[in-house]
Amino acid sequence: MGLTSHTPRLRSPGVIMSSLLSTQKVRKPGERIFCFLLIVFSVFLFWQAYQIAGFSSLSSSGAFPLAASATMVLASCVVFVNTLKLPAAEGIQFFRHCLPPVVSIIMAIILLYAVAIESLGFILSSLVFLCVCIQLLYRRSPLFTLSISILALIVVYIIFRLVFQVVLPEGVMPERDIIAAITTWWSH
Amino acid sequence: MDAFHFFATSWVSPELLGLTALGTFLGIYVGAIPGLSVTMAVSILISFTFSWDVNNALCLMVGVYMGGVYGGSRTAILLNIPGAPSAIATAMDGYPLAKKGLAGEAIGLSTVMSVIGGFVGIIVLALAAPTVSEFAITFQPRDYMMLGVLGIMLVGSLSGNSLAKGIFAGALGLLIGTVGLDPMSAEERFTFGVVDLWDGINPVAVMIGMFGVSEALHQLHHMDKAVVKQKISRIIPKLSDIKKYLPLSLQSSFIGVIVGALPGTGGDIAALMAYDHAKRTTKDPKVPFGEGAKEGLIAPESANNAAVGGAYIPMLTLGIPGDAVTAVFIGALFIHGLNPGPLLLVEQPQMFWFTVGNLTLANIFVLIFGLTGIRLFSKIVECPKGILIPLIFLLSIVGAYAINNAVIDIWWMLAFGAFGYFMRLYGFPVGPVILGVILSSLTDENWRRAILTESGSLGNFFAHIFTSPLSSILFMSIVLIFVSQTSLWKKHLKPRLLRSK
Repeated sequence: MGLTSHTPRLRSPGVIMSSLLSTQKVRKPGERIFCFLLIVFSVFLFWQAYQIAGFSSLSSSGAFPLAASATMVLASCVVFVNTLKLPAAEGIQFFRHCLPPVVSIIMAIILLYAVAIESLGFILSSLVFLCVCIQLLYRRSPLFTLSISILALIVVYIIFRLVFQVVLPEGVMPERDIIAAITTWWSH
Repeated sequence: MDAFHFFATSWVSPELLGLTALGTFLGIYVGAIPGLSVTMAVSILISFTFSWDVNNALCLMVGVYMGGVYGGSRTAILLNIPGAPSAIATAMDGYPLAKKGLAGEAIGLSTVMSVIGGFVGIIVLALAAPTVSEFAITFQPRDYMMLGVLGIMLVGSLSGNSLAKGIFAGALGLLIGTVGLDPMSAEERFTFGVVDLWDGINPVAVMIGMFGVSEALHQLHHMDKAVVKQKISRIIPKLSDIKKYLPLSLQSSFIGVIVGALPGTGGDIAALMAYDHAKRTTKDPKVPFGEGAKEGLIAPESANNAAVGGAYIPMLTLGIPGDAVTAVFIGALFIHGLNPGPLLLVEQPQMFWFTVGNLTLANIFVLIFGLTGIRLFSKIVECPKGILIPLIFLLSIVGAYAINNAVIDIWWMLAFGAFGYFMRLYGFPVGPVILGVILSSLTDENWRRAILTESGSLGNFFAHIFTSPLSSILFMSIVLIFVSQTSLWKKHLKPRLLRSK
């Protein structure tokens, strides 16, 4: 049996992350700020919930949001206090283990993709997106990346656009004309 | 006879049969490939199957669910990486078996036992649901409200490492669900004057963001994990083995159904409890547990598939999802205009029996696909994450867009994806958020109905809770979960009470 047993490299960020997730006895970098922001966010929502109907009656449209946001305020305060009690994790950096560059870069690429999808259309923007991401995450020759992206895109397009009939943004590609041309050619 | 007719709907229609087969097939791979989850797949599927006929959409999703719960065991056995949370217990003895060169046998045995478990779950669903739903008709609005809160509390306390984080996530979900025009009074809530927000935030966008994008972003941390490379020989299990372990499999299945039927507990907990049961009841196992005991493989596998049938009971009869996957499923039912709840069995019995029949069919496909196609399987699971993860992002974006053909849903999806990433990073569970979004309107409306019948008096509200046995039980359960997680109980009361025993 050719089972490959993998001993994970102890220093890899993934291993540190998963061991952290399972124990949670230490505070990760940025955790205090995140929990504090949650309190601010909850208080803001509480204020907004108060604006709906004030404390007028228990059955008003604002009563349930008020209760939910009050719960959020209380829970986030408890979480914040608990977080303050924890000792800081050692040897963990925010931009290395919590938000490594690859995650921020991918987030930025997704954002650009979401902006471009409507104007450029599904096919073009997705092709660029797949090429960039696959090249970044799976470092092989550009030709390999391009062919695997095209292949994946064709499969996705056939399944979702043609079989499932999902409407996708057309953008600059005269997609409808192309499909119409193919169907007329097919029926001849 | 009608029931049987509805039961067989998906068996006799080639289209539905094909979709169930496709769903199950997809589900097995989704469950098996680490980094893809059933919740992720069903969330994305909802957006694509949105405009379909309800039966077709349900066939596909039921198949994915059934196949996904089973599929998680594959990678647990082969790689020691559970493909799904419900396969965590499977890895404990499955992987040692594979290391001994018995991977094929382990996969075969787990397939058969999963299918047995699945059938037990379906039978219990078919027998118990009508009774539960008759009982549920007597529920008061306050009981519904408390059931909703109870479900969120249970998921919150079980899925994270702190109850406060779980409660925060649940409350956030409830609040997200209230955005838009109030269904009862048409007042604007959290709309900030934006007309686009009148319809609220689409729950599917929240789901895809939280389960699709944020999970995929987290996978970027684990890019250097292993890929499968193995040969598997014999896969059809020995009949003597099946006979020998059948009693254990049935016991585990019943544990699975019951645990699955409780709101807030799903296949993962069922599997761990069944594993524990097997460990306690097997007096002298041939191989010690943890080193490749077949009992340790059979118990969790039977239980997690039985939990699927169990989870459908509260979902179809009460409209209360048991865990994150069923929460996503309820979302799908609502989108297709079905109203899961006590009246579903009275008003739309065809839907209930259709679902039962469909689950049975999917279970049969699990058996067929589970015992065949192993070569193709190892090819697909070898798909490197560097290619898989960009594809998940692509499907998430397309899925979010497909809900309403609106770019605004993509933005919501991405916002929740980024927020979900940080929530996961700092140990906040995301399951309660989805549960909250789905249960928001049910809890809100029932609270207001309950308090209106008491003419706005909180005193009367509580007085009536304690005069109804059901309401008191629900209320006490909520209080109990809460108290059992506070430090007052953990540090002071628990040691004293346990010592006095």
